[in-house]
Order: sequence, then C-alpha cells, then structure tokens
Amino acid sequence: MKKEQLFDKLRQGVTRQFDMPTQPVDGIVYPDVVQQFIEMSKTVGSKVIEAKTTDDLNHIIRNAYPEAKVFASSVKGIKADLNPDTVSTPAELNGTDVGIVQGEIGVAENGCIWVPQTMKERVVCFISEELVILIQRQHIVNNMHEAYKRIEMPEKGYGVFISGPSKTADIEQALVMGAQAARGVTVVIVG
Amino acid sequence: MSTSHSKKAAQFLSNPENVTRHDKTFWGLRQKRDIQAHQLPEWESLREHASQIKEHTLTHLADYLEQFSDNLERNGVVVHWAKDAQEFNEIAYGILETHKVRKLVKSKSMLTEECEMNDYLIKHGIDVVETDLGERILQLMNLKPSHIVVPAAHISRHDVGKIFEDLGISKEIGNHDPTYLTQCARYSLRQAFLEAEAGMTGCNFGVASTGDCVVCTNEGNADMSTSCPKLHIVSMGIDKVIPDLDSLAVFQRLLCRCGTGQPSTSYTSHYRKPRPDGKMHVILVDNGRSDIIANPNHWTTAKCIRCGACMNTCPVYRRSMGYSYSYFIPGPIGVNLGMLRNPKLHSGNVSACSLCLSCDHVCPVKVNPGSQIYTWRQELEQFGTENKEKRYMAEAMRRVYGSYTIYDAMVKKASLVNYVPQKLMDIKLNPWAVGHTMPHIPKKSFHEIYRQAMKELDEEKKKKG
Repeated sequence: MKKEQLFDKLRQGVTRQFDMPTQPVDGIVYPDVVQQFIEMSKTVGSKVIEAKTTDDLNHIIRNAYPEAKVFASSVKGIKADLNPDTVSTPAELNGTDVGIVQGEIGVAENGCIWVPQTMKERVVCFISEELVILIQRQHIVNNMHEAYKRIEMPEKGYGVFISGPSKTADIEQALVMGAQAARGVTVVIVG
Repeated sequence: MSTSHSKKAAQFLSNPENVTRHDKTFWGLRQKRDIQAHQLPEWESLREHASQIKEHTLTHLADYLEQFSDNLERNGVVVHWAKDAQEFNEIAYGILETHKVRKLVKSKSMLTEECEMNDYLIKHGIDVVETDLGERILQLMNLKPSHIVVPAAHISRHDVGKIFEDLGISKEIGNHDPTYLTQCARYSLRQAFLEAEAGMTGCNFGVASTGDCVVCTNEGNADMSTSCPKLHIVSMGIDKVIPDLDSLAVFQRLLCRCGTGQPSTSYTSHYRKPRPDGKMHVILVDNGRSDIIANPNHWTTAKCIRCGACMNTCPVYRRSMGYSYSYFIPGPIGVNLGMLRNPKLHSGNVSACSLCLSCDHVCPVKVNPGSQIYTWRQELEQFGTENKEKRYMAEAMRRVYGSYTIYDAMVKKASLVNYVPQKLMDIKLNPWAVGHTMPHIPKKSFHEIYRQAMKELDEEKKKKG
C-alpha cells in the first residue's frame, strides 16, 4: 500500500477536527518522594537498599547476593565477571546470576526506573537471574509526567522503564516472579 | 430469540464451577483497578486528557503518521505499510525470508491474531514461538485467546500441567503448581530466545515526535525477543500513534492500572533505533482502521488502547467467557470492533450487553463501548440482522400501548392467561418462557383498584363532610 493513498483516505474521512487539551495533567506530588518511591518499589516486588555516597557499592551488592557466582556489569567502578560491553554475543550473558545496571530516573508513583542502553548488549537487564539497579537519590521524581520531561534517549536508541522483577499471573492468576526475565530486582538508592 | 452469543454462553454456563472462577478472576482485576484509580486524585482528569488526546490524534492521523514514519526512517528503521491482513502477512514473511529466518520469537500482539499471521508463517516454514506465557500455553494447546490481556485465564493449572507433561516441558508428573509450571516454561523459552534469528513485538504506543515504538510487558518477553536476535520486526495498527512523550505519560499511567490493576507494567520499553549490528522494521497496518475512523457514528471506537478494563468489569463477559463471542476480541470493545469489521457476521454479539454501562465508567479513553452497543442495536435493521420476533413484538406493543381502547380491553381480559396450563406456555413459540416462570396476573388491574379506592375515599369524605 502507498502511504499517500492512506493519508488521503484518512484526511477525507474526518469531518471535524479536535484540538489537544490545553492544560497539562496535574500529576500527583508526594510529601516525601523518596519514601514513596521506596514503598512503591517494594509493592512491585523489588528489594530496596539505601546507600551513602561514600559506601562501597561492590561490598553492598556482594552482601545482598552471597550465593551468586557470576556478576555482569559495565557500570564504572562495579566489579564483575562479565562485561556486556565486551561480550561477543548476547548468549554469553546467559547464566549471569546478578546483573548490575545504572538507572537514571526513579518514579515514585509506580516504582519505574529509567534504564537507558549505555552498554553494548542490553540483554543484561533481562537475562540475569537477579538485577541490581543503581539510582541516585536526587534523581527520584513524583510521576511519569515529570519523568518523561527528563528522559534522554542514549545514542544506541533504546531505553526501558523497569518496575520490579519479571512477573506473570497467566496460570490461574497466581502471581509468579521470574517469567522470562529477572526473577528479582534490588534497587540501590545512592546519596 | 437466542443469539450466537447466548447459545455459546449457555454451554459455558453448564459448568458452574468454571463460571464462578472466571467471574471472580475478572472481578478481582476490576477491584484492583479501582484501588489504583482511588490513589490518584487526578484520575478523572487523566481519563479526560487521554480521551481528548486520542480524539485529536485520530482526527489528525495522517499528519502524525507522516511525522512518525519520517522519524522512524531518520532513526534507521525500515517502514512498511500494509493495507490489509494479506499484505501484512506477505510483508512479514518477506522480511523473514530475506534474512533467512527459521525461528521467530514473538511477544503478544492482538494484531497478529487479527491477521492470523502465525498460521501464514508456519505454512511458509517459519517456526513461530509465542513467548508470553499465556499465549505460549494457548499455542501449545492450539487454542485462541479468550481475553486480550490475560489470554489463558480460562485454562486451569491442571490443563497447563498436562500439556507441559505431554510435550516434555515439565518433568515432574502431577506437579501443577503455577510457580513450578512457570519455571518450566522459562527454561524452555530461554532456549528459543537464544536460537531465534528474529524477534517480533507489537506496539502499545508509537510516539510521532520521536519515532519510539513503546511496548509494555510484565514478563520481559518483548525485551528478551529483541535483545537476543539481531532482527526486530514491529507490527502495529495505525491507530497506535500518539503525538509525543507528554501524551505517552498520560497513557502509560492509565494502561496498566486499568488493565491489571498494577501501577505500571514491569517493563515499558522504548525502541527507537535498530541494534548497532542489527535491523529494525516497522509494519504499519490499516486493515479497516481507516474505515472505522471515517464511520460517523462509531469512529470513537478507534480511541481504544486495548487495556481490557471493559471486559474485566462486564457482567456478561465475566459470566460467558471470550469464546462465546464470534469476534476474536471479546467483551464490550470486541462487540463494537466486530460490528465494525463485519456487521452481518458479528451481530450475534450485540445482545451480550445488559446496558449497565459499567464499561463506559471504567474505560480510560472514554470509548463508551456500552453506549456504542446501544447505538448498534438501533442499526441492526440496516444489516437485516435484527431479531424478527422482537420487531413484531415491538410493533404489537406500539399498537396496544398507543390506544387506550385496545389497552383497556386487553388489561380487562389479561387474567384469562392464568387459566392457560404452564406446559402450554413453555412451548418454543414463547421465547419469554425460557428461564422465566409466567407471572400470575391479578383479576383487577391497578387502574381499576385505584379508581375504586378514590371513589371510596370521596364517599367517606362526603359522609364526614
């Protein structure tokens, strides 16, 4: 089909045109945005750790997953066995126990964290059994309206809001964590 | 007076246990939706915004599609346009053939159901693997979705367990625990993700100003499907385009809260460019959508964002299940979309509505599917699908109620019906008798009693006076 044909048909089919709403939505604002973010992160199934800027993040992550063997990350300063920047195929990251990624914006209303693709293989966000997302305390906003005003798409042209672990309720509405992607998420709030 | 829906619903209703489970499942989702809605003081304003943004976008759709496709191309994405299901299937197969794809992993897409793409691709030798757990279960059982968001809600854990055992996906015979079965599917699908040469996703929202294709999933299967293989194909209806990221915020906040009662899906993925060493194709499909937008009475149906809230709340859907509807999308929105697709074929669904309008009240974009169904009922005569018995009855009622003489005469004689034996009333010619017991008609009508009472009251007053 030629797109011009479609455009003509669509233009002819409309008898009355409507305008965009003039006022933006007044999104919810929380008295303590970080506290709300923590509560909502737990509601969506994540664990939350609060860390100081001076804390050793490697120590915190190792402590949170004492049994884990294979760590994967390309975040500066994070020690890992696999680096999503240097693996030759996504499949090499299969078998990762804990993936660690940097989140840019946390959203208090729904626990979403914006994770832009800064690494070569973004599969690290999904293929790891457990996912750790690092987020700066001052990067937590109230709602999605604020978040979408701030997000920046990285050069690689992919980004994802992650809200808790992979989940499904497709069998008799029983909630199960770890459908296809990470079984668990730990959010580390830094600052 | 039975319609195709009511006949099929009767089969489903023959198993009360299933009906109760089905009803509770979806009422539970409706209640979770309410909890989410009540947490946001701006809820109604969000719905109004969403409705207005959709009305604006649909009435400027050519402009937004142009902007969207220009941005896609600028981002290095290949854009295709498909007039109908046939063209869509051919384009999808063409892309796969060019890249010598044997195995395709795909996330949930009602558009591919609409176009019956899986059958087409499988016939042409492609191994198509559904990766949403519900869709995968249905694919293995050779069944169709019964709901657009929770497609396998009508399947019991035992049926899932049995099919997994038969196919060797589950090893522990008799273990039908949902957690165990989900893990079995996880291991089996993990292999498929790593083997496949291409991934296909649907698209919840296409952002015109940036070219982002936004996909919302809970399982992360869309991302697994597109982070492993190098080829990504997006299949989307032209109605999925929205103006910008500010609009997206409005829809993202509503979609999941309305659909499953969660504050957000686990993943809201934005695909703007192909992977550095990969290819990304977007197929924009019309398949009747431009006709819907041009329909003066029903164009607002195209505002739908497919959240499923109208099904969850519908008392008829909850007690009749998706398979009772003749169109592949069930529930209030499905009744409307079916009528827009082929009114002669799908008029049998229009009766599946009690006009309670609960769907109108929960719809996040104010499609008002219940009110639309009411309008469709007035239009059935155009398609020759109206119920003839009801038309004769309506005509008879018009005559009786339109004339005092006939009405009074009828009322005076009505109690004679009491002398007709019940068995004679139950005959098939009297469809009203199905599921009803004939009422006992009193000898004196209300009018008579009222007149007599007034007369007596007057006489008493006179006596006193």
